[in-house]
Amino acid sequence: VSALSAEREVALVDLLDRLLGGGVVIAGDITLSVADVDLVHVSLRALISSVGSLEPPPRP
Amino acid sequence: VIELLAITEAGAAPAPPVVALSSDGVSILCIPARDAEPDADALWRHEELLESLMDAGPLLPVRYGTRVSDEAAAVAAVAGREAALAARLEHVRGAVELALRVRSEEEAAPAIADSGAAYLRARTARSRLADSVHEALAPLARDSRLRVGAEPLRAAYLVAREDVDGFVARVRELQTEHPELTIVCTGPWPPYSFSEAAA
Repeated sequence: VSALSAEREVALVDLLDRLLGGGVVIAGDITLSVADVDLVHVSLRALISSVGSLEPPPRP
Repeated sequence: VIELLAITEAGAAPAPPVVALSSDGVSILCIPARDAEPDADALWRHEELLESLMDAGPLLPVRYGTRVSDEAAAVAAVAGREAALAARLEHVRGAVELALRVRSEEEAAPAIADSGAAYLRARTARSRLADSVHEALAPLARDSRLRVGAEPLRAAYLVAREDVDGFVARVRELQTEHPELTIVCTGPWPPYSFSEAAA
């Protein structure tokens, strides 16, 4: 990833997009509890807002 | 409790602690569930692990955080879907995902429009511009996905490894042609957005 992205922090938005919205959805015996899900969402919201406060990448 | 990382081809032999479970023509890559807080570092470690697994062959990431009780449950979870997963593996073979976001200056600053109609016209113009960026890039990709979001364009492209340099060069050209836009392209990523057939 580092080869193309200007900033890891900028790429974090795309990573979150992919981890939360992408991937094969395995229906079935998922044991990630509701509490864990809430924890993930709260933490990720915090990450998203910290990303939003960063400077935009430099123009080429 | 084990965490499912990815689906890959039969016969995978990943390095420990990753384990490959065999299920009718595909391998399920798993790891003992980690209790780390899902902070940014943990997410990047997950990403780095998937990237290293991707070197061995095509893989389909599993949705982050998918856990099952044991190996038998992991195999049961994909039972009956092996053929569809194998077809997806062929679709992503030799390709990587590139992420693209288009932002505009107007989006960053509060919009000052003297009328609702002017605001809508400006918004439509931005949207057309973003569409033209997508239309310029889509032919360079094997597949693409558009996401609905606040930005004029948020997209994912599945690009053959040998075409990545050409794709990035085209992104740079588009940025030069449209200085009023900020185009952010990241990658290469594992094919997170192409693990499932288009809805």
